This record gives sequence, C-alpha cells and structure tokens, in this order.
Amino acid sequence: MKYILMTSSMVVALVVGVNSAYAGYSGPSETPPRALVLEVSSEAAAKGAEAFIDRLAQDGIGFLSDVSMSDDGRKGEFRKLLNKNFDLNTIARFTLGRNWKSLSDAQRKEYLSSFKRMIVEVYSRRFSDYQGQKLEVRGSRPEGTSDVLVKTAIVPPSGPEVAVDWRVRKSSGEYKVVDVIVEGVSMAVTQRADFSSVIQRGGGDVNALLVHLRQ
Amino acid sequence: MVSFGAMRMSNTNKKYSILALLAVTVMALPSCANNTSGDAEISDPFESTNRAVFSFNTAVDKAVIHPIAKGYNTVVPEPARTGIENVFHNLKSPVTFANQALQGDVEGAGNVLVRAVVNTFVGIGGLFDVAASEGIAYEPEDFGQTLATWGVGHGPYLVVPIIGPSSLRDYVGYAVDSFADPLRWYLFNVDKESLYYGKVGLEYLSLRASLVDVLEELQKSSIDYYAATRSAYYQHREALVNDQDSSLSGGGANIPDYDSGEDL
Repeated sequence: MKYILMTSSMVVALVVGVNSAYAGYSGPSETPPRALVLEVSSEAAAKGAEAFIDRLAQDGIGFLSDVSMSDDGRKGEFRKLLNKNFDLNTIARFTLGRNWKSLSDAQRKEYLSSFKRMIVEVYSRRFSDYQGQKLEVRGSRPEGTSDVLVKTAIVPPSGPEVAVDWRVRKSSGEYKVVDVIVEGVSMAVTQRADFSSVIQRGGGDVNALLVHLRQ
Repeated sequence: MVSFGAMRMSNTNKKYSILALLAVTVMALPSCANNTSGDAEISDPFESTNRAVFSFNTAVDKAVIHPIAKGYNTVVPEPARTGIENVFHNLKSPVTFANQALQGDVEGAGNVLVRAVVNTFVGIGGLFDVAASEGIAYEPEDFGQTLATWGVGHGPYLVVPIIGPSSLRDYVGYAVDSFADPLRWYLFNVDKESLYYGKVGLEYLSLRASLVDVLEELQKSSIDYYAATRSAYYQHREALVNDQDSSLSGGGANIPDYDSGEDL
C-alpha cells in the first residue's frame, strides 16, 4: 500500500510540475474537422481510390504468387506496376526536399533514374518473403486538399496484421500512389530524412547522395 | 516498449523517481508540442554520441540479438508467438490503464479494463486476445505518450545502449512505467526478482523478434540507417500519440503537387 501511495503521489507531482511549467503556453488552436467538410464531395473519389488500391494489390499478389515466374520476370512485372501506379517523379522530388532546386538538369535526370532503379532493387530483394499475405482495404479518408488516404491491412495467414495507408492522388484522370505509410511511418518522409542526412554529412553537396545512388 | 532499464532500479527507486521528475520538469520548460510529421522538428544535439551508441547497438544486434530473434521466430511457431505477445500486453494492463486515465481517455481506459477481464478469464490468462476479435483491439499506451498529450515535447533524441532509439521524454516515460508496474512491485516484495528479470528479457526478445523484418527492411532500403531509424522512430511515436483521433494519425507529410506549379 505504501508503494501505491508513493507511486500515485509521484504521478500527481508530475502533473503539477508539467502543468505549472505550461501555464504560459497557449497550444496550437484546434484543427477544423476537415474530414467532415469534405465528406460529401469526396465520396466518389474515396471509392475510386479504394478500388484503385484493391486492384493494385491484386496485380501485385498476382505476380508474387505466380510460382512459374523467374526472379527477373518478377522484377520486370514490379517495375511495370511501379511505373504505372506510383507517381515516382513526385516521390523522388519530395524525398530530395529543397535540395532539388540546386540540381542541374543533368543531375535531376540522373537522380530520377537512380531513384527509380534503387526502389526496384531494394524491394525486389524481398519478393521471396511473400507467404500468402493478403491486402484488405479497410476504408479511406480525404487527406490534404487533393489526396485520399486509403487504409489497408496486410493480413498474413497467421500472426498480427500490419496497418498500411496509401496516399493516393488523382492527376490527369489517373490515380497514382504518392506515399506508403506503414504503421504510421511514411516511406517518403523516412527516405527524405535518410537522403537529407547523407547530403548534410557530405558537406551539403547533393553529389554525395548521387554517388551513393550510383552504387 | 522493452524494459531493460528497470533492471538497474531495484533498491534505488526513490532516487530514480526524483530524477525522472526533475528530467520531466526540465524538459517541459523549453519544449512545445511537436505536431509535424516531417523530420524538421527532430532535435539531435547529441548526434555524435548517439551515432556511436547506434553503431554499438547495431554491432551487438548483428552478432547476438538478431540471430537469437531469428532463432526464436524459427523455433516458436506463429500462433504461439502471438500468444506470448498477448500475455505481455495483458500483464501491462495496469500501466496501460493508468496512462489512458492520465491522458483523460475514459473510453480507452474502459477498454483496457474490459480487455484485461475478458482476456484473463476467457482468453486463458491473456494467451488469446478474445477482446480484439470482439472489436476491442490492443492500444499501446505508455507514459511517454501521456507526457506528449500533456504537451511535453520529445526533448533531445537519445539512442540508449541495447534498448535503441528513444528521446528524453520517451525514455523518462519508460522509466516511470517500469517503476510504476505493480507486477514489479509484487515480484520484488515476494523476493522473486529473477522472475521479473526473466519476464523483462523475454518481453524484449518477443518485441525484437516481431521487428526482425521491419528493421532488416529499413537497413537495406536506407543509405544512412541512423537517420532513417531516427525519422521512423519519431513518426511511429507520433502515430501512437495520435491514435485516439484517427483523423490526426497517419497521412505522412503533405506532399506538394509539383506538376501544378505548386512548390516546396
């Protein structure tokens, strides 16, 4: 009992300590319920984006579970899938952040092609790990001004699910994925943090990154 | 999170609680709530030390922990692994409940209670997550998240030996959780410390084993594994803090529409 009292008094002390430290702090004002505002107008967009992700998943699982296909064949299919359904130019530009501006046209071209090659290489190494997981679409919501966040779960034959959100953008009539968010971790944001650190540690020179991507 | 730090807290509990209190108060002063999903707000003043500890952790992990975790995944079949995780989630219920309550999440706190009762009695001591299949899923809560809901910022990023990525706020939170855990108080009072350490060790192994694929993936897909891990850690913690409100969680960063001329 003595211990419980001690614990709770400690917690009370913490609350008081933090609150008094925060007496002068006025937090950010509450965000408006944008989901509510956009709900009606975006219902069609939401359904379209959900169907797009569902189809993308079927295509992906199609070649992953095709036992007759060679590793190179799978890689080729993956490259096609990626180019068709992902806005790789936008993703590549975003991951470079403000460094994009300092690149020459030739460097931009090199960066874009290296980036695409890297994505294919990194992810195709993991094809052999496919063990019959399914992707279930669980709903969606508007995100930002023009995007839809499609919420899905990777469901393995046994074991825990993995929450995956797809940020989908419709540009010139076509849906494209601009980010994949796994358990709250955005691939684009993580990649950008990675790249920006490589550039920073290379003395602020984007070439430091290009050299790495060439390998 | 895993609780290795608790091992060093046996008879000096009072000292630690005072330390924790001091640290929280100090870090609450200059910080402000960090609500950006990007990496711009990450403060890493101890980067060179952190990188050294990170290299150490990566080396130890490669030599010892990763092989053990992989072995664990091979030896223990999947339904059993989930069962073990469920037991640890269930044992954490008092701490999870306290944190839900401290965050003012009445519904969340109620869910923890229902889950604990249902899973302990129907789910055979927590082995089966019956409550989750009835629609009340496990929601991880810790004192780091509680501090975040009170407006305490992360403070500096910390890489802790063996434990891995943390921040001053989250590490203090984790120390407070370990300290307040009634299971620890009980086992220490009945002189069963070894049982507690065993639980901490197995919990660490179970968590690390569940992360084998994720960490391999992150390491292979990044050039600077340290920077990628730091970013992923902050994003994941933010998602956990925001999980009560699904309109806030996830979404990633706001990616501009470059084609329409909108720029960074």
